[in-house]
This record gives sequence, C-alpha cells and structure tokens, in this order.
Amino acid sequence: MDKLQFLVFVSVALFALGLLGVIVRRNLLVMLMCMELMLNGVNLSLVSFAQQTGTASGAVLVFLIFVVAAAEIAVAIPIVLLLVRRKRTLETDAYSDLKG
Amino acid sequence: MLHPLTLIVVLPLLGFVLNGGFGNRLGNRFVTVVGCGLPIVSFLLTIKCFLDLQAGGAPLIEAAYTWASIGGRTFDISLYFDRLSAVMALIVTGVGSVIHVYSTGYMHDDKSYPRFFAYLNLFLFFMLTLVLGRSLLVLFVGWEGVGLASYLLIGFWFEDPVNARAGKKAFVTNRIGDAGFLLGMFLLYWAFGTLDMDKINAAFAHGPVTIVSASLAGILLFIGATGKSAQIPLHVWLPDAMAGPTPVSALIHAATMVTAGVYLVARMSGLYLQAPEASAVITVIGAATALFAATIALVQTDIKKVLAYSTVSQLGFMFVALGVGAYGVGIFHVYTHAFFKACLFLGAGSVIHALSGEQDIRKMGGLARRIPITFWTFAIATAAIAGIPPLAGFWSKDEILWNAFASSSGGSTALWAVMAATALMTAFYMFRLLWLVFLTPSRMEPEAEHHVHESPLSMTGVLMILAVLSALGGFVSLPHFLEPLLPMAKTPEALHHYEMPLLILSVAIAAAGLIGAWLIFGKGLERANGLAARFASVHRLLFNKYFVDEIYERFLGAPLTWISDTVFLRFGDRFLLDGTLNGMARLAQRTAGALSRVQAGSLHRYAFFVLVGSIACVVWSFRHG
Amino acid sequence: MEALLQNLDTLLVYVFGVAALVAGALMIVLRHPMQVAMALISAMVFLGGVYGLLGVHFIAAFQVLIYVGAVMVFMVYAIMLLDVRDKSYTQRFSRFLVLGIAGAVIFVGVLVYGFAHGQHASARASVSFGLQQFASAFLNEYWLHFELTSVLLVAAVVAAMAVIRGSKRHG
Repeated sequence: MDKLQFLVFVSVALFALGLLGVIVRRNLLVMLMCMELMLNGVNLSLVSFAQQTGTASGAVLVFLIFVVAAAEIAVAIPIVLLLVRRKRTLETDAYSDLKG
Repeated sequence: MLHPLTLIVVLPLLGFVLNGGFGNRLGNRFVTVVGCGLPIVSFLLTIKCFLDLQAGGAPLIEAAYTWASIGGRTFDISLYFDRLSAVMALIVTGVGSVIHVYSTGYMHDDKSYPRFFAYLNLFLFFMLTLVLGRSLLVLFVGWEGVGLASYLLIGFWFEDPVNARAGKKAFVTNRIGDAGFLLGMFLLYWAFGTLDMDKINAAFAHGPVTIVSASLAGILLFIGATGKSAQIPLHVWLPDAMAGPTPVSALIHAATMVTAGVYLVARMSGLYLQAPEASAVITVIGAATALFAATIALVQTDIKKVLAYSTVSQLGFMFVALGVGAYGVGIFHVYTHAFFKACLFLGAGSVIHALSGEQDIRKMGGLARRIPITFWTFAIATAAIAGIPPLAGFWSKDEILWNAFASSSGGSTALWAVMAATALMTAFYMFRLLWLVFLTPSRMEPEAEHHVHESPLSMTGVLMILAVLSALGGFVSLPHFLEPLLPMAKTPEALHHYEMPLLILSVAIAAAGLIGAWLIFGKGLERANGLAARFASVHRLLFNKYFVDEIYERFLGAPLTWISDTVFLRFGDRFLLDGTLNGMARLAQRTAGALSRVQAGSLHRYAFFVLVGSIACVVWSFRHG
Repeated sequence: MEALLQNLDTLLVYVFGVAALVAGALMIVLRHPMQVAMALISAMVFLGGVYGLLGVHFIAAFQVLIYVGAVMVFMVYAIMLLDVRDKSYTQRFSRFLVLGIAGAVIFVGVLVYGFAHGQHASARASVSFGLQQFASAFLNEYWLHFELTSVLLVAAVVAAMAVIRGSKRHG
C-alpha cells in the first residue's frame, strides 16, 4: 500500500467515522462535530488526488470547502442555541415536532 | 326613430324590463300602466303597419340588426310584414292586449303581480318575434322564447310542486319537437344557403326541387309544430299546462302560442305544396289529434281541462286544413279560435274567480243568474266553437269540413266523416260544459256559493269584447284576404254541388250536439252518471286520457330513469368517476401515510438513510462505472 | 540522510494518518462534548500535519487557522455555553448503534474493495504544486466559485442574524 492509497483509505475511514457519529451519537453538538469530521475526510481525499494528478483544482475545492464549513457552523450554532433555549436539551429525539 | 315594425316587437320587451326590473319598487299602478299600455301601443302600431301594408301592397321588410356574419354568409334579424304575419300580429297584440287588461282584474290580489306582467310582456315580445321574423332562425328564437315564457307562466305559482312539474313537462316535451325543427332548419339551410322563409318558398315556387326532399324537411319542421301545437304524440303537456293562471291559459295555451305550429306550416306553405307526403302526415296527425282530444274532453270534470282538450282538438282541425292544402282556412280557424277560445278561457277564469278557486264542474251549476255577463259571453263563445251559425266558429269550421271533403290534395269522405264526428263531439262537450256550469241546479259548496260574485269591469268588459268578436269575427273572409299568399285548395268542380248540403249538415251536427248535451245534462249529473256506469270501461279509458301519460311513463320515462339512475348515476358517476377520483385520493392518502412513517422525526434515522443511500450509490457506480 | 529524511516524511504521514483515525474513533466514543471537540481538534491538527508533509503548506496553514482557530473555537464556546447535562450525556448512543456500525463497515469495505479492484491511475511521483499555481488556478479558472462563496458567506451571516432576530421576536 503506497502513501497515497493509504491516505485515500484514511479519508474514507474518516468520512465513515463521521457519518457513523452522526448516526449513533445523541448529542446535537457532537453530531455537528462529526459532520465536520466528514468534511475533513473529504478534504483529505481531495488533497491526495490533487497530489496524485499534480493539478491545483483539488486544492481549490478544499479551499471552498473551508468556506462552506465556516458558513455551516455560523448558521448551525445559532440554530442549536435556539433549539436548546426552546426545549432545554441537546438530545435529538426531543426534536421530532415535524414527525409525519 | 325606430321603424314601427321594430317598435311593435321591442315595446313589450321594454315592458318586461321595466316591470321585471322596477315593478316591485314602483307599485302595482305603474305595473298596470306599463304592462297594459305598451301592448296596446304595440297593437295600435300593428294597425298602422297593417294600413301601410294595405296602401302599399308590398310586404314591409325591416332589417333590424345583423346577428352574425360568417364567411360570406350573414344572419340578419329581419322583420317581415305581409298579410299573413299581419293577421297573426293583429291577433297576438289584439287578443294579447285585452288579456293583459283582463289580468289586471284577475291577478289583482296576487303578491307577484309585477312578475306576472313582466312574464306576459316577455311572452308578447317573443311571440311577435316569432310571427314577424323573416328567417327561420329569428322565428326559432321567438319559438324558444315563447317556450320559455310558457314555462315561466305555467309554473307561475311555483310554490306548489305540481305547477312547477307541469312547467317542466311542457318545456321538456317541447324540446323533443324543437330537435325536429332544428334538423329541418339545418336541412333547409344546407340546401338553400338561406333561412329567409320568403326565399325558401320562392325556391319551391316553380315546381318540385331536386336538391332536397321537401317532404323530409316538411316533416322535420312539422315535428317542431307538433311539440308547440300539442299534436299527437307530443300533446301531453298542454292539459297539464292549465296549472298556470287562467289568463295565461287563454293567451298562451289557447289563442296564440299553440297556434305557432299552424303559423309555421302556413308560412312554409310553398314548401308544403311540394311535399305531399308531409301534408298527408299532417292531415293524419291532425285528424287523429282532433278526434282523440275531443273524446277525452267529453268526460273531463275540470273546467280548464275540458277547454284544454278542446284546444288540442281545435288545433287538430287547423292542421287538417293545412294538410289538405287549405292554408288560408287553417289561419282563418286560428283567427276565430283565438277569439272564442280566449273568451271561453277568460269566462272560465271569471267562473273560477267567482267560486274562489273551484275548478270542478261537478261542484258548479246554476251560475247563469249569479254571474250573468260571464254566462252570456260564455254562451256566445260556446255557440261559436260548436259551429252555430252565424257565429265565427261556424264559418271557419265549415270551411275546414268542406276542404276536408273536397280538397283535391288529400280530402276524402272518410276524413270528412272523422272531422264531422269530432265537430259533433265538440258541440256536445261544450254544451255539456255550459249546462253543468251555468244552467243545471246548483251543486256548489255552501261556503263557495255564499261568496259568488260577478267579476270586475276589467274582466267582464274584456269578455264582452271577445264575445262580440266571437260572434262577428267570421264575417271577415280571411281565406280570400290571404289568397295572394296562401292559395286556396283546389276542389274538383264535380263536388261543388255538395257544398250546400254539407253546410246544412254541419249546422245539423252542431244542433245535434246541443240537443244531445241538453238531453243528457239538462237536468244535472244523474243521467250522465248512469251512462258512465253503463260504459264504465270506456269512461275510465277516456277519463284517464287513454293512459297516454302512464304509457309514456312506463315505456319512456321508466327506462330513461332506469338508465340515468343505474348506468349514468350509479355506474358512471358514482362508481366510475367518483370511484376513480376517490380511489386515486385514497391511493395518494395511503401512499402518503406509508411514506409519512419514514418521517419519524428522528435525525438518526435520516442519517442512517444517508448512509444506506451512499452505499447504494457507490455500489451502483462500481457496477456501471 | 536525504533518503532517511524522505523515509521519515513517509513514516510521519502514516503516523499522522493513523493518529487522525484514532482521534476520529475517539470522537464516537467520548462522552462529554468537550472531549469530543478536543479529539476533533487533534484530528484536524494531524490532518494539517499530513497536508504539510505532502507539500501543500498553505492548506495545512488554513486547516489550522480556519478550522482549529475559527470553527472549533466557535464550537468550543458553544459547548461551554450549553453545558446541558441531559439524556444525551448519560446515554450516548442512539438505537442505530449496531446498524450504523455495520453500515459504516460495509461502506468502507465497499469503497476499499472498489479501490483495490478498480483500475488505478499509476501512482506518479508527486509533482508538487506551489502557491503560485494554486493562486493562478484560483483566480483564472475558479473565480466564479470564489465569488459564489462570498455570496454564500453573506447569506450565512444574514441567516445567522435572522435566526437570532426571529427568535427574539418570538420571545
């Protein structure tokens, strides 16, 4: 297994761990952080492929993902704050008002 | 300035708008003035136009409006005033005006007084459109319009469902005839490219036309006429139409509207002259209707029903005249019939008015002394319809009988015999009515007898006018007046020596009817009841009008109801349409219900679905990538 | 020495990669959100190290500056603000624990299987690209995306303000 293959494996594993965290953890903030982990996994894969092909496009996408992540957090944290203010809990199962 | 012809037609419409729109607010006095005044002005204008026509000779034509212009073809609303439409317009406006005046007395206490006059004016407008229209199309508009007015007026007291049902029956029955009328109209338009009746007649003037079967067109138009003029098999609506107020029965269902079919056939005489088969059909239907309705009239006990069947029977007479080619004679009978039948109906109205609504002649009697003016006018009109010389009905009926016997196009001894029998019955049932209502000892309910009173002058005055016209109207030789337009039927020279004996015979027939009625009904109902008991089955058959309504109900109404109910309503509407829609709605609802369970409100579950989806995407891309 | 250094680089990449994985795994199991945040920060720093070792120094710098410096600090503040000891604290995992783990394993397995059996491009010697290529690629080819991210950021700012404002009006 060469270096780049290893990094791609790591990126897949990180993405999977992040998604697993979103699925299994009950804490809203932890879920948010797991999403960040997913983004990091994607970033790693992009950087690896950019290295492999020698083009800058992957790096550009990484840069854009940074911006998206920042924007996401900027909106998500206030929402979480409001949710907690309403129900005094970070437990996601409490927020099922839109249940069909 | 509008042309007087247009004014004749438009004035009643104005009356309708004023009475219908403002009548309730402006009070009954206003309604009376507008409702009676405008028809009278129309009548005077008609006389003026008539004098113009007599002076000028040529028919007055007034193109009022171009209705539609399609390609190179235009449909004009033109009015056409020749001797035939003049006679009809004079009858309509003249009789119409006096009946309006009569209505002011008859309907005096009705709470819907303005509405009544609005409808009457509306009727007059459509009837004049019908009579004065130059093209079949305008005639048809009037034709449908009078049907509408008739419907509105039959159901005038619509609070009683019986009246509303009678109105619907009249309307629906007329629709069947109108379908035939429309088809005939289409056929003629297809053949000639015009609907102007004078042009169509002109096209037939020079012998048979090969482009279209005159008999087919004639029969189709006649189907329309059977509906409007209550001939077999569409006669069933007219007796029921007596549910309307009595002036309506007099104006619409005796004097004017029901003669529209006669007018139509006479107006299209050019076509019918070239259509011997259609003429034969008209003769047979007319004779059958005349006989059939007269037999029913013999035993009816409702004063208005007797008159209604009498009207159907007299219309049969008119159609026989048309069928044998004596168009002028048919119109002559329309003209005399308008007077004496209107007088009879209005007299019946006066009787009903005097008896506070009683219509059963078994509960009348002895009214001659109590309401003498009504009695005398009614007696004159009865004598007129029975054919007692020299009253109006005698002249026209005798002409019809003569033509039925002698006309070279369809006349025969058998036809004469049928018509003579009908005339005998006519005299009989009319004098029966006269005796039972006025001359026999009273059988009235004490309560009603107490209130008996002669009608106000507005009603008796009209009765007197109509009685005078019934008496003297026959001296106008209408067939000769109309001859330039409607040629007389040809009668073989060899038969002319029969004319005098037949005339005497028809007087004898009328006298026989009178004497027969006196013998049976002169003392009251006992002898008649005995006869009815002896011929119970015949009496039952006649009393129930040959069960025509029941037969129609059984063989037309019931199957149609069954089809509507089972096929269209239960299967088509409820099962197919509603079922499909409800099924689709239920499907959507169930699908949504099933899918909504996915929306469990659990973020974890959604995230898990993301995982499953990503796995599926990856696997799919490996498979197909 | 040069070869040793080269090997050391490679070794460090492996080490950092494994460390990032371990930190990611810790995020799943740690109880307190603050611990999770620390694990995430360490994972990010390790990844930054990987980036640096791969030669894309500016991304490594951004990784540390933006992610750790901005995003995670914001996150840590939020955690401190919302120190709610609720059910999610005592009972960490949802009903989907087993299913989720199985799914994640399958997911990784499928991807790794795909990589192992797919045709991979020949592992070229990493032709490193510098800040200059990155910058010119950014502003020549991806300028539209760049501008769009600015729109996105503005939208995020407006949205954040609207969320707070709206909640205030609700009382």
